[in-house]
Amino acid sequence: MTTQPRPKDQPASRLLPVLIAGALASVTSSPATAEIDAPEFDASIVGFDEPVPEVLTTTRLRQPKTRVPGSTTVIDGSMIRDLGIKNLYEVFRLVPGMTVNFVGSHQPVVTYHGTSHYEQRRMQVLVDGRTAHRATLSDMDWESMPVPLEMIERIEVARGPNSAAYGINAFLGTINIITRDPADTDGGEVYVSRGSRGYQRTFGAVGNSGDTLDWRVTMENRRFDGFDTKRDGTEFRDGHNLNFFTWDSRTDLGTEANLELRAGLVDGTNRQDGDKNGELWPVEHPDLELRDYYLQSRLNYHLSPDHFFHVQVAVENFRREQQYRIAAGNSAANCLKAGDALFDPGAGCFISADPLDDQPAIYTDLNGDYEDTRLELEVQDTLVLSEDLKLVSGAGFRKDTLRSETYFNGRVDNYQSRYFGNLEYSPVNWLTFNAGGNWERSSTTGESYFSPRVASNFIINDRQAVRFVYSEAVRTPDPFEQDPDYGYTLRNVTPDVHSTLEGYRVTMADINPDLSQTTLGEDLDEENIRSYEISYFGQFQISDALLHLEVRGFRDELRDMIGGVIQLQNWTLDNNLAADQQGFELEAALEYPATTLRASYAYLDQDTWYTGAPILDENGNVDTGAQRERADLLERMSVTHSGSLAVIRQLPWDVTVSSAFYWADQFMRLDEQFERIDARISKQFFGPSYSAELAFTLQHYLNRNPELGRDDNIDHHNQFFMEAALRF
Amino acid sequence: MTAIPHFAAQRRFAHGYALSLAALCALLFLIGFPAAGYGQPADTREVFVAGSGNDALDQYVIRLIEERVRETLVLRPLSDWHSPSSHNVPVIAIGPAAVTRAQNLDPPPPVLALLVKKSSVEDYPGRPGSQLSAVYQEVPLIRQALTGKAILPQATRIALLASTESSDLYQPLLGQLEAFGLEARIFVADTNDQLIPALNRALSYGDFLLAGPDDAIYNPRNIKHILLTAYRRNKILIGPNQIYVKAGALASSYPPMDTMADQASRHLEQFLATGHFPPSDYPIEYRVEVNEQVARSLNIPLPDPEQIASTINRMLEENAGEMSE
Repeated sequence: MTTQPRPKDQPASRLLPVLIAGALASVTSSPATAEIDAPEFDASIVGFDEPVPEVLTTTRLRQPKTRVPGSTTVIDGSMIRDLGIKNLYEVFRLVPGMTVNFVGSHQPVVTYHGTSHYEQRRMQVLVDGRTAHRATLSDMDWESMPVPLEMIERIEVARGPNSAAYGINAFLGTINIITRDPADTDGGEVYVSRGSRGYQRTFGAVGNSGDTLDWRVTMENRRFDGFDTKRDGTEFRDGHNLNFFTWDSRTDLGTEANLELRAGLVDGTNRQDGDKNGELWPVEHPDLELRDYYLQSRLNYHLSPDHFFHVQVAVENFRREQQYRIAAGNSAANCLKAGDALFDPGAGCFISADPLDDQPAIYTDLNGDYEDTRLELEVQDTLVLSEDLKLVSGAGFRKDTLRSETYFNGRVDNYQSRYFGNLEYSPVNWLTFNAGGNWERSSTTGESYFSPRVASNFIINDRQAVRFVYSEAVRTPDPFEQDPDYGYTLRNVTPDVHSTLEGYRVTMADINPDLSQTTLGEDLDEENIRSYEISYFGQFQISDALLHLEVRGFRDELRDMIGGVIQLQNWTLDNNLAADQQGFELEAALEYPATTLRASYAYLDQDTWYTGAPILDENGNVDTGAQRERADLLERMSVTHSGSLAVIRQLPWDVTVSSAFYWADQFMRLDEQFERIDARISKQFFGPSYSAELAFTLQHYLNRNPELGRDDNIDHHNQFFMEAALRF
Repeated sequence: MTAIPHFAAQRRFAHGYALSLAALCALLFLIGFPAAGYGQPADTREVFVAGSGNDALDQYVIRLIEERVRETLVLRPLSDWHSPSSHNVPVIAIGPAAVTRAQNLDPPPPVLALLVKKSSVEDYPGRPGSQLSAVYQEVPLIRQALTGKAILPQATRIALLASTESSDLYQPLLGQLEAFGLEARIFVADTNDQLIPALNRALSYGDFLLAGPDDAIYNPRNIKHILLTAYRRNKILIGPNQIYVKAGALASSYPPMDTMADQASRHLEQFLATGHFPPSDYPIEYRVEVNEQVARSLNIPLPDPEQIASTINRMLEENAGEMSE
């Protein structure tokens, strides 16, 4: 607001010309023209008290979907809770193109456009900007992620390669989990849920929002029994019992800066079935004991309303202890002592002349322990040069320390450094360009990579846009793929007659008689992807309803893909696969008064072929069947059709009902499809200083045949869950 | 801050020494302003103006009123008020502090309050024999609620955040909403500690947050928390006025200043004719201020402000029989 100086503040002589001019004007002007003497005034800022600050400034606002350089699915935390979703990984069934299934002992696998199976290597997953991937195997442990469902603000899934922004692991897509701000969780919250298959979740949170410090503490216990029975009808030992503790805070350091601190602990047991996990011949279930922690600090500094940066440091430690006892016959023990490969058909390590020699006679402990520590440093600067020009740039450094007697025979350090930037430019209001790139160096391969991404958004109006996106990305092999030193050390060997094997390290050479058929020790190169996207985003007001529609067409060329088997007795990893993926995805939401309908659908056509050295059969001919099997490894979770339908409706008396249908068509291995209908009814109570909710959820499995693992059986079509929540 | 309006007449009287240096100018003024230098007819009557202390605002309001009453009234600063000669000369008070100053004069003059809230006028105890009328600045809450409905037609639930004391402000609204397919719930926060928990529960309930003229909740200290929390939850704030739209609220209806000036001039004319002000009233026309940046960022399709205003008027007209503003 501008205030004109008062006349008395000015020398009278300086007023003379003004007065003369004013007098002349008063003679010659009509009354109406006298209005021009009144000062300019912005009538929208009438206020008598202290000024109201502009809170939602340009740098605080998220990009509108019409200007986002690529298709992004955003799932709000409220939708997750309203649909009665019980586990974090199940959220991703709502994302077009994503499939969720299980391997091993109920280990959830989440993929976008398949290609992954046991190790979920090809997506970047971030929690509040912190990498959530484990370092050793570039894998995700969804069940032990320290993210309570109640604390999820939203999940953003950038579909398609986005290495330009997130680095070389953002190969097929990026999941960005954003938890609720500590300033938003002032007060207390308690949540309890019980349900079928031993599902138990107990959660509590308390927090406070003050003048300079906002903080929140959460504690959670998750228990679940996993699948019911294996194919032989015996109980499947695949549940978990995990405890979580998290701390989130933000301290204001003046008006320009604040400091975020986050910390978390995970502790508990992930039960593993001896038939599914554990090497050699377990006689105990090789349960995993978890001890994870993380510390994250982020300084946000606003240099001006149009310029801010953050500096983030995070340390994450993943520790897994897996100790179990195995048993073998005397014949196998003798093979080890003699240096004969256990699987050499001529050595008779398992089928000996005396059947008694094949009965369990030697007992020893094995361990699959490992501990990863990741140190991350990131600096990111955001500069809004004008309403039409925005530059985001930064640098990152990461050190992974991997300690495992079994997987690395000691310790491995791995380093990555990167520089990234993205320029967003809107020369006219109907067009936005984005050009970004990420230069990254990894000590795993000793090479540097550049991943570009360019996008043009043609904005038809504020409600519709057509995007054209081209991007390239790489995925470097993880340290275990590239530099394994894989072997199990025998400890506590009994009886004494086999004590010479005490401390003996069993490696692939002790098991596989034909190491030339393996690729252990061979260097791997990076995987490459080129991606083309045409997508459309539109919003339409239809009477009282608002329709959101997003359609994505894509063609992805995946080359030098790493495929093969990772086992102690066999190691066939190689850059020997290629795939073309094309298809389209649809995401639509229709918001009626008190009713929300949501639909997602994905069509994926994947063509995979073997590109490695010819695999020869015993006659020296190319074994096309074996080559096809290798290619099939890349298609186990690449389903042709998948999608979801959901409805949430508010009824009178604060009752909300919801239903969702999820399906994924024909997982390759068993040619089965996942189909489930969920239904939930909840009643909310609003008191003067509290809110409460009671809910009942039914999950109905339309198909109970396992889709991926033959042991993944659920005995009953219907699964039931009860919930109670209190916020105060 | 001293609340003195600074308009042309005051400047001239306050600086007579300057005029003495410019006799020619004075002559020309007299030629141009036959009515004692005010540009008014000789039979005009006086009205005093108690300013808000915000110079630009005061001059703006005075200019708007002068344009409308130039033929019959001359506006003088309240510093010219002298008892008892100024007795029963009306005072235009701009803002609540000016109302207080005017009401404290002895004897109390008739006061026309502008840019004030209904609650602040109703709560004013007044003095025996005094007259206090107003053109309220705020928007009827049903109109603000419909501003949200016009922007989010799919909305059915409105969250209201209030203190125990100010929750009365929203009580009349609760009964008016059903006709428009809306319902609302008040979430009470009596202390700073209760603000964010109540806000979180309110945002979980409502499709949008509606702000009334409640300084206890919506003030410069709280608004940052409220706007950031709502934004993070993808929820919008409607109201309480244009200032908060600049801060980050999505929209607010507001009475245009020229409309309020029209009504103020009519109040003054009626006073001249009858010696009494008409009852206090809301403005008769409203416009809508929107924050396009926030709407775009939240992917909310935003109609033109004129279209929003006409949608609100249509909804009110269609349900005129069932309720009134």
